[in-house]
Amino acid sequence: MFAVAGSGKTTHLINQLNETDKFLLVTYTNNNVHNLRMGIIKKFGYFPTNIKLLSYYSFLYGFCFKPFLNDKCGTKGINYEPNKNKFAKSNKREYYIDKFNRVYSARISKLLLVTEEYKSVIDRISKYFNHLFIDEIQDLGANDFNLLKEISKANVKLIYVGDFFQHTFDTSRDGNVNKNLHEDFEKYTKEFTNMGVKPDTTTLSKSFRCSPTVCKFIADNLDINIESHREDETTVKYIDSKEEASEIISNSDIVKLFYKEHYKYDCFSRNWGESKGEDKYFDVCVVLNKTILDKYKKGKLQELPATTKNKLYVAFSRAKNNLYLLPHNLINES
Amino acid sequence: MGNITKIKLKNFRRFKTFSVEFDENINILVGDNESGKSSIIEAINIILSGSRSKIETIGLENIFNSSAIATFLASDKKIENLPTLFIEAYFNDLSNFELEGKNNSDEIVLHGLKLGIVPNDDFSEEIKAILSQTEPVFPYEFYSIKFATFAGEAYSGYKKYLRHILVDNSQISSEYAIKEYVKDMYNSYAESLVKNKHQNEYRKHKEKFKNVVLADLNATVPDYDFSIRNNSKANLETDLTLTENNISIENKGKGIQCFIKTKFALSKVVENLDVVLIEEPENHLSHINMKKLIREIEGSEKKQIIISTHSNLISSRLNLRNSILLNSNSNEPTLLKNIDKETAKFFIKAPDNNILEFVLSKKVILVEGDAEFLLMEAFFQITKSTTLETSDIHIISVNGTSFNRYLEIAKTLDIRTAVIRDNDGDFQTKCIDNFSDYSSFPNIKVFSEIDNSVSTFEISVYNTNKSICDDLFAGGRKTLTVQEYMLKNKAEVAFQLLDKKASDLTVPQYIKDAIEWISR
Repeated sequence: MFAVAGSGKTTHLINQLNETDKFLLVTYTNNNVHNLRMGIIKKFGYFPTNIKLLSYYSFLYGFCFKPFLNDKCGTKGINYEPNKNKFAKSNKREYYIDKFNRVYSARISKLLLVTEEYKSVIDRISKYFNHLFIDEIQDLGANDFNLLKEISKANVKLIYVGDFFQHTFDTSRDGNVNKNLHEDFEKYTKEFTNMGVKPDTTTLSKSFRCSPTVCKFIADNLDINIESHREDETTVKYIDSKEEASEIISNSDIVKLFYKEHYKYDCFSRNWGESKGEDKYFDVCVVLNKTILDKYKKGKLQELPATTKNKLYVAFSRAKNNLYLLPHNLINES
Repeated sequence: MGNITKIKLKNFRRFKTFSVEFDENINILVGDNESGKSSIIEAINIILSGSRSKIETIGLENIFNSSAIATFLASDKKIENLPTLFIEAYFNDLSNFELEGKNNSDEIVLHGLKLGIVPNDDFSEEIKAILSQTEPVFPYEFYSIKFATFAGEAYSGYKKYLRHILVDNSQISSEYAIKEYVKDMYNSYAESLVKNKHQNEYRKHKEKFKNVVLADLNATVPDYDFSIRNNSKANLETDLTLTENNISIENKGKGIQCFIKTKFALSKVVENLDVVLIEEPENHLSHINMKKLIREIEGSEKKQIIISTHSNLISSRLNLRNSILLNSNSNEPTLLKNIDKETAKFFIKAPDNNILEFVLSKKVILVEGDAEFLLMEAFFQITKSTTLETSDIHIISVNGTSFNRYLEIAKTLDIRTAVIRDNDGDFQTKCIDNFSDYSSFPNIKVFSEIDNSVSTFEISVYNTNKSICDDLFAGGRKTLTVQEYMLKNKAEVAFQLLDKKASDLTVPQYIKDAIEWISR
């Protein structure tokens, strides 16, 4: 199920829940775990025991890996860094597990695949659940995507939700594994068709969060299809005066979203990538660095590399109301 | 309902490796002293409690298999060869994925809990330093204690996957044991919401006592107030006790305490218990109370019961087929569940018997009655010039001719069994045809007189010891011959012979044969 930003993915997932079937909900960020948890409690008045909500690594490590490989591999936690030893062979322990006995996060799925324990994972999911929901599906790449293909064989009803264009990083980046997975939307949807998962691009194609103005701006500049459920007009404004800039910078109700290193600026701020999954900003100010500013001025933002473009899309689509574009030269590091 | 299907131990107490499977209802651990019955109950109690403090109280040096430690210290003391300990409890399928996984020594996807005590790699250097000393020091301090489910998730005491209680009658007198028991039972009865309410109310009552009853007194005391203590050592759980007819359990006799505790734990009302562990219920109990207790245990439903016992009565009355035999010389438990139903039933109904002595023996001579039983020891001494005890041979009287019931068990457990019986005037039927089912078992052999005219033990003894018997039993009787007298007063005759002529007796040939065969 492909969703656009602010189209109510969380609400949609929560609407599918009931108090009788057994649900396993997996979502990537802690933010989303929190959002889903609150939504569930709001819906039922408590957190029903038939629903299991897990963050992505609790699922992958705690639910899939540990029950079958914990003692066998003698692992003690996860190493989130990539394996620096590029010469490690994939049939050797050092390829998967560091010298402190931590398993490399990017290779947990691969280890499940090579040991064939993915079969035990399929049985485990089938035995304990009727439904498997995975949120932020677009972030599953590389080895994790290969594991996903296998898990999709579990005897449960699957709902995978994600926004192709919000693909900003991979849960497991590993050399050339599935490197071109996110290059092309058509090809990407076909991968799901092959898994037996039917792509749905209409149910969640409209945003509740963003106004038609912001949606149109995103569609025109980034070449990403996003429509709005709303009819009200808001403002999208490029800031070119120092006075206006300083007013926005000092306004603590307007979040300033930076490409990176937001902490260097003395104002209410976040990085683009981090703001994913957040739904609490009214007016948003996106700070454009030099490269992006040049592209913007030429009307060629859609030519940005996919990862940058996607992060920018995340940043733009945080705005419930007005969207301000602030050139980097109008804001100073503190 | 949850139950334990199997316990596996490694380097725990006297067990280097050990594995035993349990029935979902009643299990009776039977064995002589030092066979490890209590260790198994202790292991179950530890793993289900998930309590580090229990282990720390016992001490790692006591919990670890001492010969594993000694072997290691006598070796080249390589860090990778340091012994490790585990307790694994396998459960039935509780449909709980927190419990299910392959993190067990069977490496099969199953439900269960595991306690692992292994060297802590974080202290590898310290361990190395200790091991490099010449003195044999074992680095217990650098071992880590880890409780985890088979899914690899850590757990601790507050998470009870199987709820259990230990009724320990071996240390009944200790105040601590009673307190623990009362606390456990209270927790089994009261829901956590109710418990919180009780605790809260109890605290309020104490405050009220201070504010109302002590108020006058406190008014007279300058600067300070008398108050009622309320802390971890003085609260509802520490002050609770159990009473019957207003008499507190601490003030009852030991036997009754044991009885009350077991009965209460088995009560149908207590639905929050899955496993009841009972340690030596026979302690402090009279014969009559023991029979009552057995009825309670038999009648209990929906709970797994694991009992350790020395008692013949408990083991046979609760169905031998539920018994698990432990031998101090072996790590292999013997299950009696393969004994045929009729045989098990016989021992349930049969009068008090020596079945435990039988099953725990390696070599047994079965005899018909008291007369043979009394004289066998002397016969053995004469034939072998040594005692039965040193030869580890047991004499058991079956009080009749139900030898076959015992032989059924001998067959299963491979106990070397000599049957000594009378031919009752029909050697072929009584001593051959009767035992045809066992003729193919080399560990079983029947011994008797072949001559049909020597139909009983007494006739045989008289024939071989005519002058001794005439001397002893002829005295002044007119109506009965010596032979007739002996047949009418079997036990008395045997006792007289033993008392007055034990070393002068000649052993009948068939008995001599039996003694030689069993001694081989």
